[in-house]
Amino acid sequence: MNSLNSIQQGTIFSIEEFAVNDGPGIRTTVFLKGCPLHCVWCHNPEGISPEPQYMMKKDETTVCGYRITADELASRLLKNKEIYSLNKGGVTFTGGEPLLQYGFLLNVLRKIKPEIHTAIETSGFASEEVFREVLPLLDLVLFDVKHTDPAIHKKYTGVDNQLIRKNLECLCSSGKDFVIRIPLIPGINDTKENMLAVLDIIRDAKSLQRVEILRYHKMAGAKYSMIGKEYNPPFDPEIPPRVYNVFEDNNINTIVL
Amino acid sequence: MNERIKNLREYLLDKKHHQFRRTPGELGIQNLSDEYKASGFSPVKRSAACFSAMLEKEQPVILPGEKIVFTRTVTEVPEVFTKEEWDAIKTSHYIHEKGYVCNISPDYAYTLTYGLEARKEEISKRLEDAGLTKDQKEFLLSAYSSLVSLQDCIEKYAQYALSVGETEIATTLQAIKCNGATSFREALQLLRILHFSIWEAGNYHNTLGRFDQYMYPYYIRDIENGVLTKEDAFDLLEEFFLVCNKDSDLYPGMQQGDNGQSMVLGGRSMTGEYLFNELSRMCLQASYELELIDPKINIRVDRDTPAEIYELGSQLTKIGLGFPQYSNDDVVIPGLIRKGYAEEDAYNYVVAACWEFIIPGVAMDIPNIDALSLIECVRDCMEQLKDCPDYASFYSLIEKEMANRLDAMCKKHHNIYMIPAPMMSLLMDGTIERAKDISEGGKYNNYGIHGTGIATAADSLAAIKKYYYEEQKVDYSAWMNALTHNFKEEKELQELLRKEAPKMGQDDDYVDLIARDLLNSFDRALQGRINEKGGVYRAGTGTAMYYIFHATELGATPDGRSADEKIPANYSPSLYIKQKGPLSVIKSFAKPDLKNVVNGGPLTLEFDQSVFRNDESVAKLGMLVRTFITLGGHQLQLNTVCKEKLLDAKKHPENYRNLIVRVWGWSGYFVELDECYQDHVINRIEFGL
Repeated sequence: MNSLNSIQQGTIFSIEEFAVNDGPGIRTTVFLKGCPLHCVWCHNPEGISPEPQYMMKKDETTVCGYRITADELASRLLKNKEIYSLNKGGVTFTGGEPLLQYGFLLNVLRKIKPEIHTAIETSGFASEEVFREVLPLLDLVLFDVKHTDPAIHKKYTGVDNQLIRKNLECLCSSGKDFVIRIPLIPGINDTKENMLAVLDIIRDAKSLQRVEILRYHKMAGAKYSMIGKEYNPPFDPEIPPRVYNVFEDNNINTIVL
Repeated sequence: MNERIKNLREYLLDKKHHQFRRTPGELGIQNLSDEYKASGFSPVKRSAACFSAMLEKEQPVILPGEKIVFTRTVTEVPEVFTKEEWDAIKTSHYIHEKGYVCNISPDYAYTLTYGLEARKEEISKRLEDAGLTKDQKEFLLSAYSSLVSLQDCIEKYAQYALSVGETEIATTLQAIKCNGATSFREALQLLRILHFSIWEAGNYHNTLGRFDQYMYPYYIRDIENGVLTKEDAFDLLEEFFLVCNKDSDLYPGMQQGDNGQSMVLGGRSMTGEYLFNELSRMCLQASYELELIDPKINIRVDRDTPAEIYELGSQLTKIGLGFPQYSNDDVVIPGLIRKGYAEEDAYNYVVAACWEFIIPGVAMDIPNIDALSLIECVRDCMEQLKDCPDYASFYSLIEKEMANRLDAMCKKHHNIYMIPAPMMSLLMDGTIERAKDISEGGKYNNYGIHGTGIATAADSLAAIKKYYYEEQKVDYSAWMNALTHNFKEEKELQELLRKEAPKMGQDDDYVDLIARDLLNSFDRALQGRINEKGGVYRAGTGTAMYYIFHATELGATPDGRSADEKIPANYSPSLYIKQKGPLSVIKSFAKPDLKNVVNGGPLTLEFDQSVFRNDESVAKLGMLVRTFITLGGHQLQLNTVCKEKLLDAKKHPENYRNLIVRVWGWSGYFVELDECYQDHVINRIEFGL
């Protein structure tokens, strides 16, 4: 998988203009392909495999994912830099896990950074070196927290959360603006205990902008059949998740989406 | 919305007031034209007589809880000419639409200020002039008698109100029967009556203009004097908005909802002040609460308009009414001045029924007199492609085609005839002074031509430039085969054209600059043309219903569009293209020199309802609108739709009687539209998550 280490080229599966839920202002979100996690509730399953793959959309077979050079991606993003600065917006890289293709991501960020407000949405699952290297190139980090319990985390996402915890602690003390995002999955992480544990980690971070609680949406499974997979969540998607807004109670700006 | 308004809203939506309606046949006024013919009445006298006959038959009605009265009970306006007479007029004249004065913006403020009695005195005084011609006298007398009939009808309503114990209504009516309005309530009541009266006279697409400007003095005086609380003022305002929905199904239009009750808020003054006041804000709030199709709100904005106003507008967009529509003062005002409008008039602009820029009180423009199909111009030059050595020579052919079509069109607009409109004339400036009916012209008599299929035309030319001239990938016979046989054997070519060729809306200069050329050529082709009333011609980017008409016999087009596919409404990207997103669309569509196409016609963006789940995303929509304006866009309308809902509404219309969509320049009830208009809305590309 040498493509993962390529600095010049990366694999993305979408560039979405006017993404309204990925950071401040008018933003474009770039979806990088490939994710080391396999969350059972993932609503972008086409982002998991790092390679382009077939996808069925309305009886038409399309290829999801394509190679793009860092130069081309940067120039496409720079094309709208006036719009971003006019509206205090910018570009957000998400995925998949954007740090999986870190060489490419760093390269693109360096090309656009001075002129564009940059953000990533990350699971935090990356080596500490990579995480520290990317931070100075970002204006904002949207950090996803699924669960604080290592065993439960591993069970539902496929990976241990030790690295994630370390990177989150690094972020909390870095002074970098960040947002905590918690996808709220019914019966899996929507417990008061889990929310309090998250609160414990982040409550003293001065540059925490806010917490975003993203309630599980039952449409989340819609894309699985398009990539020839079955969606079998080990929870009942019909039950709405419980919202324990312990953050608001502790004077942390919180939004429930 | 308080209980009173809520109940009145339900009452109207349940159409309970329809019980009071009578047809001209039931009332014995269906054959007025025979009498007029027999009596040898002049056309203007007929209009006034017919207006009086209608008002005489109006039955006073006060709906439960109403404070602002006047409900239309006569369903139709009788003809003033017999069929033979009208046929004779038609053979020797050009008739615009139905022949009535329509689609202009009356000056209500003057009569609101001075009152009906003063208007009568004004006419009496004018009649003292010994130099008046017979026709001038006839017009003045007709206008006078229209005022008398209107006053009689107001008196009839007042008496009825007294008889049912509605003394407040009676007092209000008796005050404004003669005098100008002295309070917000009186002003709303008189405005209602004036607006009612022009519909009653057969005029249609009667706009409301700059309501927040001409009503504000009444509002603020009452508030400052403590005679009205803000809550009560808002309550009255909501009732006025409701009233606009009372008779609108009786108003003529292409489709139910196409009734032209536009209202324009805000705008920059000549002295640089941004005129968005407390009443403007209340109008947005009233619309937000009522969720009805009328009045159709427009907001005049510019690069310095505060972000908050865009946010307020976006709140309204979110609920799916298809308005507000935005227009950009930075582009429209210079554009109008360029077309010869005086500076003070240009600064006072409003929109006509849909989006055509007109001037209230002074313009007798016909901004929708015709439509040029830009894509037909391209199509009809295709056969000569082989004779053109380069793109420039092919393009000049298209310019010639445009000029030829416009020649033929302008020749048609000859010896135009409009049914005299004495009541409407009273609401247009200078008519009494000139002693001339507004149907004979106003200060401005300009004609507007819509331009349809701009994106399809630009995309087609881009494909020809790229694949025929530059890359020489597609030869002449391949193009012609594809177009003649609707891409039957040229599937590969069609794929190339649809998926690879540059498309307007993707922020690609290659095609966007072609669109700019086309619109500049369209404008140039109209320059120097003077219509028979001395007015100029204005080019526009609107389509009205021509996006349906012009697509039916178009055939396949060089951009890869199949014969059975639609063309976009107004100023919008092709329906089938792969969109990059809203940023690319607004950038593409802001590139042309839009002050040159000041007849108007908005870029239309469709969003899936799910995009706007919270206030933050609504605020971002406001940013997007502001960006389009800052980039130099001229006009924008936004729709929030839910495709599944629309599809279901086609199957089960009974469950969706209040579902509102934006059609071409107006909002209507989806289930009441003809299927072709329904399908077009469904087929537009929406931006989702």
